[in-house]
Amino acid sequence: MKILCIIPAYNEEKNIAKTISSVKKYINDILVVNDGSKDNTQKLAQETGARVISHIINRGQGASLETGNEYARRHNYDVVVHFDADGQFLAEEIPDILKPIIENAYPISFGSRFLNKKSQIPWFKKHVIMRIAKAINYIFLGVKTSDPQSGFRAMSKEALEKIRIENDGMAHCSEILAKTNKYKFVFKEVPITVLYNEFGQSLGSGFRTVKDLLINKINK
Amino acid sequence: MWQQIIALVLIIIFISRLTLLRKSGKILKNEYIFWIIFWSLAGLAILFLKQLDTLLIDLGFSGSGINFLLYLAVLFLFYLIFRLRLKILDLDKKITKLLREIALRDENNISNDK
Repeated sequence: MKILCIIPAYNEEKNIAKTISSVKKYINDILVVNDGSKDNTQKLAQETGARVISHIINRGQGASLETGNEYARRHNYDVVVHFDADGQFLAEEIPDILKPIIENAYPISFGSRFLNKKSQIPWFKKHVIMRIAKAINYIFLGVKTSDPQSGFRAMSKEALEKIRIENDGMAHCSEILAKTNKYKFVFKEVPITVLYNEFGQSLGSGFRTVKDLLINKINK
Repeated sequence: MWQQIIALVLIIIFISRLTLLRKSGKILKNEYIFWIIFWSLAGLAILFLKQLDTLLIDLGFSGSGINFLLYLAVLFLFYLIFRLRLKILDLDKKITKLLREIALRDENNISNDK
């Protein structure tokens, strides 16, 4: 089974090498999508031996993930794993996220910070932002998950063929959930741990995500 | 009276500018025709402002013709902003698509070099 780990990276020179070496223990094929970084992200990623493709200018995390997905489609991968470059996810949980797809034939699995394992989520984010995000996902997209904005997920070829990410920014998380619902894919939520070295997505960025979602909804 | 003359002079300037842009090939024919019709209608409305007043009163509106034109202009501006926004979103998507193809093509070149 061909598995590809897609790591979108924008100005991640501090974390990229460490993230790649931690992922390598679990997945051989790693694709770093350098999203127009202005620092040494591309060079450092290439030095680790990972495959690197680059956007000439920054287009956002959603755009980078879709570039990685398109690479996987063209290279006939069976499964892709989306993994952040900033070191917030734990590579040792990659087998957990792959298990529902490999062993139980689920088309898609989502990491969730709110099941069992204890992620150090800032109080405001956990109790205010995430609740609002959950409500928005439910009202506008009809999707109910324990974690409305998790970026750690795995997708089978079947899901990859159907789900095309159109939101270039952070709204891709909700978009993928919405399309999972639209194509009636049965999914599995897997408990994951997230390490917060800073606040993560800012409040302003959160509003932009909601705006992107709404605009996309209106345009349809 | 003077206000009408100034407005008409401005419209003539806009139309001549549009014609120059069309002649130099900077705007498409469709767009040129659209704006010529738009400014011609605006010119006619200004020329027949009194008749417009009477028409609006006959139709049961309380505002004057110039107010009516102002409301129409604001509505039209909002519509244009909306269209512009859609166009920008469309361009944004096309830029991403283009960059994606470049990134994937460059990856192929690197593989071939190896």
